[in-house]
Amino acid sequence: MAHVSVPMYWRTIPQRYRLVGHKCKACGAINFPPKGVCKGCLTSSDFEEIQLQGLGRVHTFTLIGAGGAPPEFAEQEKAGGSYPVAIVELDEGPKVIGQMADVSPKDVRIGMRVRAELRRIYSEEGVIRYGFKFVPAEGA
Amino acid sequence: MAVGISGYGVYVPRLRIKREDYAKAWGSFSATGVSEKAVMGYDEDVLTMASKVSRRALDSIPLPASKVTRFALASTSPPYAEKLLSGTVLVSLGIPSDAFSSDHTSSTRAGTEAVIAGFEHLAGTPSGHVLVASADAPTASMWSSVEHGLAAGAAAFVLSASDVFAELEGHASWASEHAGERFRPRGQEQIHDLSVKKFSESSFVANTTKAASAVLKRLGRKPEDYAHVVIQQPDARAPASVAGKLGFTDAQLAAGLVSAYLGDLGAASVPLGLAAVLDVAKVGDRVLAVSYGSGAGADALSFRVTADRKASPSVKEEAARKEYVDYVQYLKIKGAIQ
Repeated sequence: MAHVSVPMYWRTIPQRYRLVGHKCKACGAINFPPKGVCKGCLTSSDFEEIQLQGLGRVHTFTLIGAGGAPPEFAEQEKAGGSYPVAIVELDEGPKVIGQMADVSPKDVRIGMRVRAELRRIYSEEGVIRYGFKFVPAEGA
Repeated sequence: MAVGISGYGVYVPRLRIKREDYAKAWGSFSATGVSEKAVMGYDEDVLTMASKVSRRALDSIPLPASKVTRFALASTSPPYAEKLLSGTVLVSLGIPSDAFSSDHTSSTRAGTEAVIAGFEHLAGTPSGHVLVASADAPTASMWSSVEHGLAAGAAAFVLSASDVFAELEGHASWASEHAGERFRPRGQEQIHDLSVKKFSESSFVANTTKAASAVLKRLGRKPEDYAHVVIQQPDARAPASVAGKLGFTDAQLAAGLVSAYLGDLGAASVPLGLAAVLDVAKVGDRVLAVSYGSGAGADALSFRVTADRKASPSVKEEAARKEYVDYVQYLKIKGAIQ
């Protein structure tokens, strides 16, 4: 299992729970997840926080199944079957990776509108790790 | 000062199981009048559902999360027995950390309890905005017939003293001592019920009619003054016995009878029923909402619809969005196979 300690997870809660990103004060690029140095200008590390809307489009996706899930998601796959993982291009620009939920794997399409919402990602040390997944958002 | 509901939002998880699947597995289905029920996905719990309905309730106005001064969460089935639950939802929405938050658990009456607590906040802080989220997914042993009806769903309300579309006219409560029906000893995840039906029913009827009669009397109202009545729904038949006793008709119950197609929603039962009524209510309609929690207590709240405001999606739209699972899939999703 890719171990992420509780303190490490805790530090990233604003981005994991509600997509708080960084806007570069030098070049204006939006970074998500927040980085040490801006991905846009590759020089500035001066940022302001920005609340992303959580809306975007599926850029590409894959299905995780047939026992291929990493250990922390193995039980989820066993109970619920194969699940989609997508790279989503957010309306603000950044591309992020996340699971898709609330959708049959066969209904996922490149270009579909999605919205980020809070879900259980996995549990470790008895602590539930919450974070965002993408769900279909027609008309949004 | 008129206080009331200024926005609301609902969520029903997408999975459903039909009564026929229970009948195939067990030979019977004990939740009277329930044709199918809503089931959470593997990665959902009451906090993720509460986050979703809270967002929808704020968006229905729209009201930025930064304006919320009071947040109340209600559920009988939180993922932790000890740990602040409302904090997870508050942070996921960006509600200010200095908003007073509270967790209401241990009774299916918790949903209306949280709403009443929210209205109390407005008495001292009339410029404030209260967000109340009720989300529930009670569980019981698969061997227990009380498990058959247990379902999942959520509803949230924004309560304010301005920009209100359903005014609170008054409320009343009743608390008493009854034991043996629907209880969960400390440290256990699954609810028990000694299944003494007559005894349980008498507590259900006594507590709800006491609370409802008290609010009707206080307001000088008769059942015929109401377009709709919503009563706690452990199944789809129980509300009728209370309605009949109070002098309400099946027609007044119809719009809020969500258990018939969603199941027993626990602490979210009356909140989702009330939302389903608000979806169809006309300006001028009066609505009586009566909750019940075993052990036992009841709240009754009287509302009058004063403006036309509907949430999106509606309860009907949420109910129509579904995918069926069979009983074996259900057992796997519920983690019942160890």
